Amino acid sequence: MSQTKTIDLFFGPQHPGITGNFSVRVTVDGDTVVKAQVIPGFLHRGFEKLMEMRHWIQGPALICRICVPDPDHSETGYATAVERLAGIEVPERGRYIRSLMLEMSRLSAYLFYFGGYAGSIGLYTVGQWGVGDRDYILDLFEELTGARVYHIFNFPGGPRWDTPPGFEDKVDKLMDFLEKRLKEFDKLYFNNRVFIKRARGTAPMTKAYAQKMEVTGPNARATGWAIDVRKDDPYAAYPDLDFDIITQKEGDNYARVIQRRMEFEQSIDLIRQITRKLRKMPRGNVRVTPNPLHWKIPPGEAYGAVESSKGELGYYVVSDGGIGPYRMQARGPSISHGVQVYEEMVVGQRVADVAALMFSLDVCPPDIDR
Amino acid sequence: MSITDIVAIIGMAVFVPLLGLLFMGIARKITARIQNRIGPPFYQQYIDVMKLFSKRSNISHSWVFDIGPIFAVVGMLTTMLFIPMGGFQLLSFDGDLIVIMYLMVISGLGIALGAGASGNPNSGIGVMRALVLMMSYELPFVLILLSVMLYYNTTSLAEIVSKQADMAWAVLALPLSAIVADICLQGQFGEKPFDQPIAPAEVATGPMVEYGGKYLGMLMLWHAIAIIVEGSLFVNLFLGGGIVFDPSTYVGMALNFLVWIGLVFLMFFIALLINAVMPRYRIDQAFAFYWKWPTILAIIALIYVMVVSSW
Repeated sequence: MSQTKTIDLFFGPQHPGITGNFSVRVTVDGDTVVKAQVIPGFLHRGFEKLMEMRHWIQGPALICRICVPDPDHSETGYATAVERLAGIEVPERGRYIRSLMLEMSRLSAYLFYFGGYAGSIGLYTVGQWGVGDRDYILDLFEELTGARVYHIFNFPGGPRWDTPPGFEDKVDKLMDFLEKRLKEFDKLYFNNRVFIKRARGTAPMTKAYAQKMEVTGPNARATGWAIDVRKDDPYAAYPDLDFDIITQKEGDNYARVIQRRMEFEQSIDLIRQITRKLRKMPRGNVRVTPNPLHWKIPPGEAYGAVESSKGELGYYVVSDGGIGPYRMQARGPSISHGVQVYEEMVVGQRVADVAALMFSLDVCPPDIDR
Repeated sequence: MSITDIVAIIGMAVFVPLLGLLFMGIARKITARIQNRIGPPFYQQYIDVMKLFSKRSNISHSWVFDIGPIFAVVGMLTTMLFIPMGGFQLLSFDGDLIVIMYLMVISGLGIALGAGASGNPNSGIGVMRALVLMMSYELPFVLILLSVMLYYNTTSLAEIVSKQADMAWAVLALPLSAIVADICLQGQFGEKPFDQPIAPAEVATGPMVEYGGKYLGMLMLWHAIAIIVEGSLFVNLFLGGGIVFDPSTYVGMALNFLVWIGLVFLMFFIALLINAVMPRYRIDQAFAFYWKWPTILAIIALIYVMVVSSW
């Protein structure tokens, strides 16, 4: 047998086929990947240590930076953990506003995701459309919170303030628009034969493998494993909302993309349920936060998790009764998807699917490095 | 060769790249509109090429690397000489269609040589893909050329054009061949779903990854000429070369030339629209695609022509 010659390809950090500040070194034999090594760490900012030096109330301003496309879930995860620790009950309207923000954030993250995967296989139109439509969601965020990307809005105790008058109608109008757009996305993208041909059967993941590797979120549901933090460990207004866990069977690239597409529709439905409820509720009472200057959390520890657009995003908070967290640990979904799972699953794929697999797993590099 | 011929050749060698760049600029604008963007102005490509050619630093890897883009541009320009352009025919002889087939491959090989010499694995994979892609679409395309040659009983492109002016356009006479040729044209243009050689997310723009500055400017010119040459080849084969008015008068000549530009742009426009709404195939899928339906249809078209022309 002659010795086969392999070459090393560097995907990133300066490469169009990478999800951000991240790098993968793949060893390629012909057109097939035989070995892959992910190189994270370009974006390490030491969030967990930084949190120990800050007050409880300063947390949300920092940790929303952990995942750029989906910052609200970080804020809410931290807020949920602190609330559990302190025994704070958020008023009903506050919980609903929180859920509204989370679902809107999910929509905007999925629009990014659609464009990301489509861009990795060359369908740039979806990316441009997605980012354009996402801007309408950001407009609403700006109206509600004053900020477009990092909202710093979901504090422990509830959202900072109530919705502005007429906000629910604007949200409903946007949902109608997004529903219409989704039909166009279907025509262009999800029913595109080339997309289906490339994505079907590429990098399938079994349910057993997903359970072994702690895969969560849409990636796990795409394998047929019905887990969802919104159902399993309810937070915000999710216990009151009516929805089912959507699953796919195959667990390949196609199933992962379609899973998100289905959840996009579900999110629109959830947001409509929330706005319907918000209209009926008395306005004003959204938050219970003690005076921030005397803000003390009793000693103890608590874990608060949310179902982010990428998977389970949890915060483990330890308090010693001081003015800030004694220790904070973040459990991000991407460290499993982007490092362990990706490194194993990319072996045996074609070079053309190295980027596609990474985008289909929805890896968020800042969440890996933290 | 008279002095007018030399002036015409130089004039065409200047005009065709400029026209190609204009097409590329309009293409960016159209794609932008499809994607809900405003897009750059249509003359953006001229600015880009001028900027690239005014860059001072050039990183060279070897003399093969230097010569690759020149090779490509010269190869394409040479191909251009043999292609009738709206009534302007610079060089012509019996059998030039076969020469054109070879010359078009040569310019691709220039890029392959240069990019291969850069030593970047992304370039290497890109070149490999480009050669596989070329091999994929050449098979049905050669079969189509055979059918057209058989139908008009000549191997001269100029004669095919003039015979279409007398009879009907080949797109009406041989619709099946025209459809297959248009599918092959998508691959020749390198538009999606057949842009595997330069796929940014996969091989980081492939052959062009190590080229910058003046080299990249050369490659842009090469691409601009290639659009015109490949589109023009299709127009000559199937759309009568754009000859609709009487070419004996100056007004007729000028109008024919404009019609030719319009038809070449039409072919490019069709490719562009497909490009905007299609992802790319994997290279093995592209290969399987071309050697399946287009090849079968091309064989059917060839048999049809054989039956028709034997009557």
